Amino acid sequence: MNILCTSHKIISKQNPQQGIRHIQSAGFEDIFWDLSAYVPSWKLESVLSENMEDISGFLEDVLIQEDKGGLKSSIVQMPYLAADTKQKNIQELLFKLALFAIEFGGRAGCVGVIIKPLFAGVLKEMIWEVNRAYYLSLAEMAKKQESIILLENQCKSIHGHLVRGICAEAEEAVKWVDALNEEVGEERFGFCLDVGVCNICGQNMYDFVCSLGHRIKTVKMRDCDGMQDSSLLPFTCANKGLQQTDWRSLIWGLREIEFKGSLILDFADTIAGFSPLFRPQILQIAKSLGDYFGWQIEMEQFLQKYDQRVLFGAGNMCRNYMKYYGEKFPPLFTCDNNSKLWETSFCGLKVNSPEYLKGLPENCAIVICNIYYKEITCQIKNMKLTNPIVYFSDEYLPVQADMECD
Amino acid sequence: MLKIGVQSDNVIEDGNPQEGFAVVRRTGFSCVDFSLNRYLRNSNIYKSEINHFFSQSIQELEMHFSSHKLAAEREQIFINQMHMPYPIYMPNGSNELNGYLREVVAPKSLAVCAFFGCPYIVLHGYKTVQYVGSEEKEWDQTERLINFLAPMAKEMGITLCIENLYSNVGGHIVGGSCCNAAKLTERIDRINEKYHAEVLGFCFDTGHANLVGIDFENFMTKLGHRLKVLHIHDNDGKGDLHQIPFTFTLNRENEPSTDWEAFIKGICNIRFDKVLSFETAPVLNAFPEEMKETVLSFIAQIGQYFIKKIEKCKHMIL
Repeated sequence: MNILCTSHKIISKQNPQQGIRHIQSAGFEDIFWDLSAYVPSWKLESVLSENMEDISGFLEDVLIQEDKGGLKSSIVQMPYLAADTKQKNIQELLFKLALFAIEFGGRAGCVGVIIKPLFAGVLKEMIWEVNRAYYLSLAEMAKKQESIILLENQCKSIHGHLVRGICAEAEEAVKWVDALNEEVGEERFGFCLDVGVCNICGQNMYDFVCSLGHRIKTVKMRDCDGMQDSSLLPFTCANKGLQQTDWRSLIWGLREIEFKGSLILDFADTIAGFSPLFRPQILQIAKSLGDYFGWQIEMEQFLQKYDQRVLFGAGNMCRNYMKYYGEKFPPLFTCDNNSKLWETSFCGLKVNSPEYLKGLPENCAIVICNIYYKEITCQIKNMKLTNPIVYFSDEYLPVQADMECD
Repeated sequence: MLKIGVQSDNVIEDGNPQEGFAVVRRTGFSCVDFSLNRYLRNSNIYKSEINHFFSQSIQELEMHFSSHKLAAEREQIFINQMHMPYPIYMPNGSNELNGYLREVVAPKSLAVCAFFGCPYIVLHGYKTVQYVGSEEKEWDQTERLINFLAPMAKEMGITLCIENLYSNVGGHIVGGSCCNAAKLTERIDRINEKYHAEVLGFCFDTGHANLVGIDFENFMTKLGHRLKVLHIHDNDGKGDLHQIPFTFTLNRENEPSTDWEAFIKGICNIRFDKVLSFETAPVLNAFPEEMKETVLSFIAQIGQYFIKKIEKCKHMIL
């Protein structure tokens, strides 16, 4: 899975090299170019035309530096209007900016370009027709640049109250993506799921993700309080000890569709809120979060990769493995370092000494069902075993582990 | 022809229902949403504290409500909808509690509904998605309950109305049961076809929809004729406050933060011709008792405003 770091509030016009360095040092290999950082919505609100040469000149400079750094740029996002914009006659400029983003993306090696739909000044009953024409007129350029145009779920503003906008209902998003692809006769359009928008619109992300399925190419991971459209680092928006975003429902949905696309870490507001001195540390946390999400989402894909498997650990995590995956991915046995458990049975599995691992076939995976992942991995390596190792986690299960249903 | 209704809770009291129905009529309403849920409050069900109001026989219940029925007739107020006690299933409740809710409370609610000659009863679907894993499985549970009640409803000429609900994740409200219009239309049609009768309809709750950012117009238009009753009320987009429409604003221009225009268009699009029913009993707790009739009149006037706008919209379409 591709983990991308946003450029917003990190790669500045004044000193782009520093931002790129920070991103690289944190371990990211891929950048999400959010062009709204350089042509912000407030600017689109007040000017009718933008000096395209200024923008392209700056981005080309950055591109050259970026090439030196060896960072990839898989996804770019064009500048966009705020949900509560007062602009009504800006479609021509938005079209130019969209073309610019696609072209820039092509040169930067992007595979996807997020292009938000036109809404300002468009009558509700004309939304699809206007956007159909808009997206189709961009398809040729996207084809030339070998990139996919990504539609995205939107909020709309009812006098400041953000509610479900264009493509915020899964059925509509599916219809739009499919209709556009059908018209161009190839998969030129996909979907970027904005977690922040789903949260603001109070949506069940499991259902949303499952309805969109393979159309989701990118997920924008950001936290918010469910009311304001902010981009906070995931897990940082909590109240009274409770998360404000339903990460479980999202992760479970992405597991269900076997998501393999790009995960964008979008935390511009978190970065902006801290002193720049903390930027390297925040970026490191962001990278760890990206890896964590990738691991959680791909867990089932790892489990099904191997024909045979054994478990390591005979506690609660093993119990949950057997409850939710025991039938789908049955293990040969489990083992545990606690000698008192050896030769006993746990959840229908024989508990062996870790010494039994030495007799495993080469491609049999050892699934660690214990939070001491690193220590157990070390133990396995010290035993000179070369079997693949998979880390299991029961943090996000489809049904609350200790609850029975009727 | 559109009519205007209001919740009976906080207006019609058991001690003197005649006076309550007279207030309803005086303040400009012709219909009532009878709050049967006040006889077994949700706050008590959550605590598994069950009174035994519904343990009375149907004859005893009819006796209890006979003065209400008579008063409604005298004041020419039509009880067009009522609210069944909720929740009707507690995920962590005992078998005894859930059995009582399903086997006693729900059927006797239908019996009371039939006694009043009320055509619609609002029923909350199951709220178990976090326990069963998916909305589909949650719906399966709701559908089993509907299948249990549908033959009785058919026999009594009542339409069960499921309602868009919300759920809670970390104190943040998210869409719950019955918030997907496309799925709802399929489910309602399938069930009605099965029983060869309109045993299932929909109750659109504007406040709940506002909390989870549902597009009123799109949602109502998709539901079409399946929409039978309304719960009209307003909130700040954060809490289920059940306040008067047009109350909340989020900008300095003081424009409403709830999309009432979309509500009017939705009603107009589907040619809804039933009751604009206000679920605003909590408003009467907020205002002083002395202002009750003034507040109710004001709510009724908002209903009249809606009717005017809806009729105008219908003419424009024609």
